[in-house]
Amino acid sequence: MTTATPSRTSTARPPRPRPRLGTYIGLAAVVAITVWAGIGIEFDLRPLWTDLGRGWFIIQEFLAPNWSYIGRTIGPFIETLSIAVIATLVGCAVGLGMSLLASRVTTANPVLYRAAKLFLSVVRSLPDVGYGLLFFALVGAGSLAGILALIMFNIGIIAKLTSETIDAVDRGPLEAADSTGASALQRARFAVVPMILPNYLSYCLYVFELNIRASVVIGIVGGGGIGSSISVEFARFNYSNVSAIVVLLIVVVFAIDLLSQSLRRRLT
Amino acid sequence: MSAPISPAARARRGAPPRPSAPSRLRYTLTQLGVLALVIVCLVLVDANWARLLEAPALSLNYGGLMVQGVVQNPFSEPYSQYWTDAILLMFESLQIAWIGTVIGAIFSFPIGFLAASNVSPRGVVIVTRQILNIIRAVPELVFAIAIMLPIFGLGPLAGALAIGVGSIGTLGKLTSEAIEAVPTGPGEATRSTGAGTLQTLRWAVTPQILPEVIAFWLYRFEINIRASAILGILGAGGVGSLLAQVFERRDWERIGITLTVIIVVTVIVDQISGAVRHRVISGVPVAGAKALV
Repeated sequence: MTTATPSRTSTARPPRPRPRLGTYIGLAAVVAITVWAGIGIEFDLRPLWTDLGRGWFIIQEFLAPNWSYIGRTIGPFIETLSIAVIATLVGCAVGLGMSLLASRVTTANPVLYRAAKLFLSVVRSLPDVGYGLLFFALVGAGSLAGILALIMFNIGIIAKLTSETIDAVDRGPLEAADSTGASALQRARFAVVPMILPNYLSYCLYVFELNIRASVVIGIVGGGGIGSSISVEFARFNYSNVSAIVVLLIVVVFAIDLLSQSLRRRLT
Repeated sequence: MSAPISPAARARRGAPPRPSAPSRLRYTLTQLGVLALVIVCLVLVDANWARLLEAPALSLNYGGLMVQGVVQNPFSEPYSQYWTDAILLMFESLQIAWIGTVIGAIFSFPIGFLAASNVSPRGVVIVTRQILNIIRAVPELVFAIAIMLPIFGLGPLAGALAIGVGSIGTLGKLTSEAIEAVPTGPGEATRSTGAGTLQTLRWAVTPQILPEVIAFWLYRFEINIRASAILGILGAGGVGSLLAQVFERRDWERIGITLTVIIVVTVIVDQISGAVRHRVISGVPVAGAKALV
């Protein structure tokens, strides 16, 4: 298959690599899925020209936030933050336990390990709104539903990230713990947890950032906090009030992201 | 086991003194701070904790009803209708997520180059990055209710466009970070052959970042599937609208069926996407690849 002859070693061009068949099949599949999806959702950008006028007055209201409304959103915002703190704490604690079960490093029993993995991927597959609706139906409207929904949402994320960190952990301390006759629990507590702790805490802060955003969505389906205010104002078509909440929300999210990022940088 | 040796006894034996334990003051203070924060939050949150006691019994009751819906013969009326409704709408959610991801990928790819400090001039980088930061700070939900739903009306198209705009923020940032991490060797080699800037980007930078960037796209697709469910509840199409409907009616059998469809389809798509990502990142470990070398 090589064409280079020994007499012309310096100038021989390497053969052009043949494009792989797999690449073409992959590209064709991507195009086919895109066309199928585009037809399915009736993709059409013409409304941008024809219907801009219809939506314009709503967008205009969004561009003129009703600042006087902001004073009345402080209470719901504090509720949202409290929901996020409690849910992060509980979710991260349970998530740590689940991640120890879902890593082959800490769980020797293959059945238990597989069961934990399967459980976690089921927990993760339901979107946060699904949990919001579920707990709203179970415990009624209010912040308790939001807390419970966020806890489930947090367990899925924390356990996935942490169990992957545990899988990649340095084996030395584990062998040392084994050689002292440590039980599985002692091994996890004194060999595994100290190694993953910085990463784990950084994931906890990351999840807290996500929780502020998610609790807005969960609030809309009945989980209390600022999301409830958004859905009330939205239903009353008070778009300038919604806009004021959104602006404040962006500021809060941005501030918390900055705070959490500076903390995370110190951790890792 | 013998009792711990006292420092005095160690000194008598001529052993070096034990180092004193490091101060745990900061650790303790942090713990107390977190504890105080949680207590304040528990006071402020005003949750109806009493409902927590009723929840286990209720969830058993509702869970039973949901399972009943799932285990019914799926080919008998009206359950066949419930299953087809849920599956068709779930596919619509997948379509929304896919189109959103494609829009995000198409726009974020050039934007990623504009936001990479080793490729673009400083001024352009700063402006592009700020735009990406703003997009990332706004939840998709807001794009949907503030811009897309008013213009495009209720329906899956508004959801797909909102998800698309939201995806540009994260994908653009991740792409620019991948570009900045690229080794300089191939770029220098390309330039030494007389390639211009665009040719260098095409033949030296793009091949190096492409696997990573494709993995980001797929990862974003997985996230967008969940996001499309959220937007559905606001009327932007997909399985979310069905979920909100059946929950409103407390139709637990249909809730069970719908949740089962969501969970099974999401897990399957995640598995496929994860396998493709793994293969894109770590290459093809097959015998055919060796024969070419």
